[in-house]
Amino acid sequence: MTAATDAPVRRPLAPAGGAVPLTAARLLRLELRHNAMPWLLPLIAALFWFDSYRPSTSMPPYWVLRTFWNMGQGATIIDFAPFVAGAAAWVGSRDGRRGTADLVTAAARPRWAVQLAAWAATAIWAVGGYLAFVGVLFAVYAHQGVRGEPPWWWVAVGAAAVLAFSAAGFAVGALYPSRFAAPLAAFGAVFAMLMSSRIGFSHTSGWAQILPTNSNGNFQPDSGMLYPWLPDLPIARIMFLAGITVAALCLLGLPAAAGGPRLRRAAAVATVAGLAAAGAAAGLAGTARLGPHGLVIPALHDAASDRPIANVPDCEGSGFRVCLNPDYRPELTAVTAALAPVVREVAGLPGAPTRATQVAAAYSAGEGQGGQAMTISGRPPVLGMPLGALGIPGAFGWTDGEVAGQLRLLFVHAFVGAGTSIGTPAQQAVQAALLQGAGLPIARQPNLLASAGLWSLARTTGGPAPGPPPATGPVYAVARRLAAMSAGARHAWLAAHLAALRADHLTLAQLP
Amino acid sequence: MNVELTELTRRFGHTQAVAGVTLEAGPGVFGLLGPNGAGKTSLLRMMATALPPTSGTLRLLGRDPGGYGPRREIRRRLGYLPQNLGYYPGFTVADFVEYFALLKDMPPRRVARAVATAIEHVGLGDKARSKLRTLSGGMLRRAGIAQAIVNEPELLLLDEPTAGLDPEQRVAFRALLREFGQRSTVIVSTHLVEDVAAACTEVTLMDTGRLVFHGTPDELIARGEGSGAAGDAPLERGYSAVLAAARSGVAARS
Amino acid sequence: MTAAGVHQAASGAGSAPAARPGPAWLRLAWLYLVSRRAPTALVLLAGCGALLWAALHLHWTVAGGPAAQMLFPLVTEAGAAAVIAATTYGPFGEPERATGRRLPYLRLGVTVGLTAAAIGTLAIGSTGGYLPGGLAAMARNVAGITGVGLLCAVVLGGMLAWTGPIAYWVLAEGALANGLTTPWVWPARPPLDRGGAICACLVFVTGLVLITVRGVHESVRDTTT
Repeated sequence: MTAATDAPVRRPLAPAGGAVPLTAARLLRLELRHNAMPWLLPLIAALFWFDSYRPSTSMPPYWVLRTFWNMGQGATIIDFAPFVAGAAAWVGSRDGRRGTADLVTAAARPRWAVQLAAWAATAIWAVGGYLAFVGVLFAVYAHQGVRGEPPWWWVAVGAAAVLAFSAAGFAVGALYPSRFAAPLAAFGAVFAMLMSSRIGFSHTSGWAQILPTNSNGNFQPDSGMLYPWLPDLPIARIMFLAGITVAALCLLGLPAAAGGPRLRRAAAVATVAGLAAAGAAAGLAGTARLGPHGLVIPALHDAASDRPIANVPDCEGSGFRVCLNPDYRPELTAVTAALAPVVREVAGLPGAPTRATQVAAAYSAGEGQGGQAMTISGRPPVLGMPLGALGIPGAFGWTDGEVAGQLRLLFVHAFVGAGTSIGTPAQQAVQAALLQGAGLPIARQPNLLASAGLWSLARTTGGPAPGPPPATGPVYAVARRLAAMSAGARHAWLAAHLAALRADHLTLAQLP
Repeated sequence: MNVELTELTRRFGHTQAVAGVTLEAGPGVFGLLGPNGAGKTSLLRMMATALPPTSGTLRLLGRDPGGYGPRREIRRRLGYLPQNLGYYPGFTVADFVEYFALLKDMPPRRVARAVATAIEHVGLGDKARSKLRTLSGGMLRRAGIAQAIVNEPELLLLDEPTAGLDPEQRVAFRALLREFGQRSTVIVSTHLVEDVAAACTEVTLMDTGRLVFHGTPDELIARGEGSGAAGDAPLERGYSAVLAAARSGVAARS
Repeated sequence: MTAAGVHQAASGAGSAPAARPGPAWLRLAWLYLVSRRAPTALVLLAGCGALLWAALHLHWTVAGGPAAQMLFPLVTEAGAAAVIAATTYGPFGEPERATGRRLPYLRLGVTVGLTAAAIGTLAIGSTGGYLPGGLAAMARNVAGITGVGLLCAVVLGGMLAWTGPIAYWVLAEGALANGLTTPWVWPARPPLDRGGAICACLVFVTGLVLITVRGVHESVRDTTT
């Protein structure tokens, strides 16, 4: 140590107010350099690869399918939340663990301000890591030619969730600077996420929509392709998570040691405001109603979200043209080939469509997407295909053959006029005969009916209990007789009786 | 006067750590002596505004630290080294001193130079970029001193500052204290009477929360002459004599 | 510097406290337990048991089949393991390490005791409810994940040992969701599966041996715990 021979000039203390942002920035820089969060990012990266990326690679290359698990069901949040909460609790408990509370308290800067700097550094690393990992994930998807538009709103929800968990964990650590603070915060985060998933699966409406891993109503089948991602629910969730973040952090501004009376009053007001925001968001979510393209919250809804995304369809076929949204281009040839046998079977009959076009699917909150019937409408008749609600090869176990069978079935189902119901016995018999003519043997048709979800339709319209019955009984007996007729005779009979069939005026006994 | 205490008291439950201390201090170096549990640390913590008093009045640098605004002003002008120095192991020496410079609301443009000066003052210039976890106990103590002096405080409170310092560093540290004492109030709590003898202009002795002696080191030495009290050095004998007299006087009264 | 009202101190320190009754080893064990915050850990383990009871009796499950039913119980098991791992941190550092041969026995006894207590509290919490996999799977999971926590304590220190059980839970959750069946992710294996049991035991015993012999990693001790 040295002692200067001349007493140094005493400089007056400059007013602190003007230098506050610069001091805060330098404090933040110090905290960023020494934060514990970066050390956990490699571990999170490994889990992210295993839990968020790897399962998604088996899905067909559509953004809505690739991101259903990691963004829609919150797998990415689950990868981050426990570690972020635990690390934040570790940082928050620092002064208690290191015995620096007196030193920090005896300094001029309010203790709450010092704590906020430490939290901010943790949050920056955590959210930065999240955005970086998701960015890499999306870049890989883009490189793989994934189609549609990325779910940016859901990325924002994830970032808000990471922020909220960091704030909650930090508050736990600051208020309880014990060796158990970090594990308590980490497992508390896990528990919260599990409860969110549990409640989400059992509640398809109401306030539970606000929970970050509630996937009901999140991922509409045509989101980012035919229609934009609806921002209503993400906005409400971000508001909820931001409210929790503010409340958790401002809780630390309430104790006497946190700062002066004005600061503490502001912290109290902000805590209440945060809780109010979270409550309001839950209330808004409670008003959500299921629209044709997802969950709509009236107070947050923008009518522009209901307008379809402008596109020029891709078409194929010379006689019977099949037109799909350009994002479904890879499916065009397969869809055209799948429909062709039915086109040949019904060609020339009244009401036979002259072309097929993709239409938007309507989201169903019930389990499965069954019951997304095709429609035939317009003059000349056009077959409307809600492909977003149907199976796609590679998605959830659907094979090429199953997808082709499903398309043929739903085409014929619409043609006989069964609509969204299972159809009258006469319609069922004609449907079975036409399908046989289109290359689907009657014996295999019950399984196809079940996999296409027509049994779930029956449930909603009060029909018979679900589960495919065997291809026996009077309906299939009539169907076999009809299928055994010559093509010409069958064609002539159908031409004469289709109108009555579609109007539910035919009974099974009236079929040949 | 930079320090004005009037009947200052601090209780922890049933224990009275500081019992009605009254003193005033202006610029200079003042030693605070006393046995373990005498209340020195509690007194220093109250002067550091880290602990509120139970009763009595406390004025520091002409301000009452009871109000938030005056307390903040005091803290900008205060330097404090606690007995048990907590630190963040991952910080470097420079980071650590800079951190507390910023916490003391030093003007940012002055911070870098002040940090460098403080680190040089304690002889850790070549260790400025070393992480605190790599430092020896004595070096850590010096880093603690650096953070206490970085803002050129008007009131410098040091609790056992020379613990872990080697004799050469202790000599230099005493010179540093004398330098600061020319313009600031420096209060040093210590067990080492030689530190008091070398650096302090006045010394106060505490026992069981009360002041039992105040005066110059020479006056304390005089109290020990001919008393037969234990001690290897004159100041130690004076220390022992005063304590013995204080305790026997209390015993006689009780 | 002026001082007014110089007082004379009271008489010196009182007499030393009387020696406590009971065998010294019991006293030592108790002091060791307190230093590791084992009483608080027992309260937290009881909390894990209560949480398991609530999950089973209130039917807290996540949709997704039998595998998903395991997620809530697995949280309580991994949480218990994290609590046990957190108790490995010692506040004394080198002075404690420089003592005689009793420390390894204390480490071993406390770790095994807390693991048994965790299994016990979770077993109590599962009474009257359907625990996926049964008690055998639960004991396997607790022991194995505790071993993960102990290994983390050896490498990272007791205060950061919670990262192991948490990471393992996320790994197990992913394995359950995606049908992975490697024995190293024993929660995804059948209850009486030999491979899973061997792996879990191996991890537990390895962690236990390392903790007993080497203790936790220590760089800088916290002043409070």
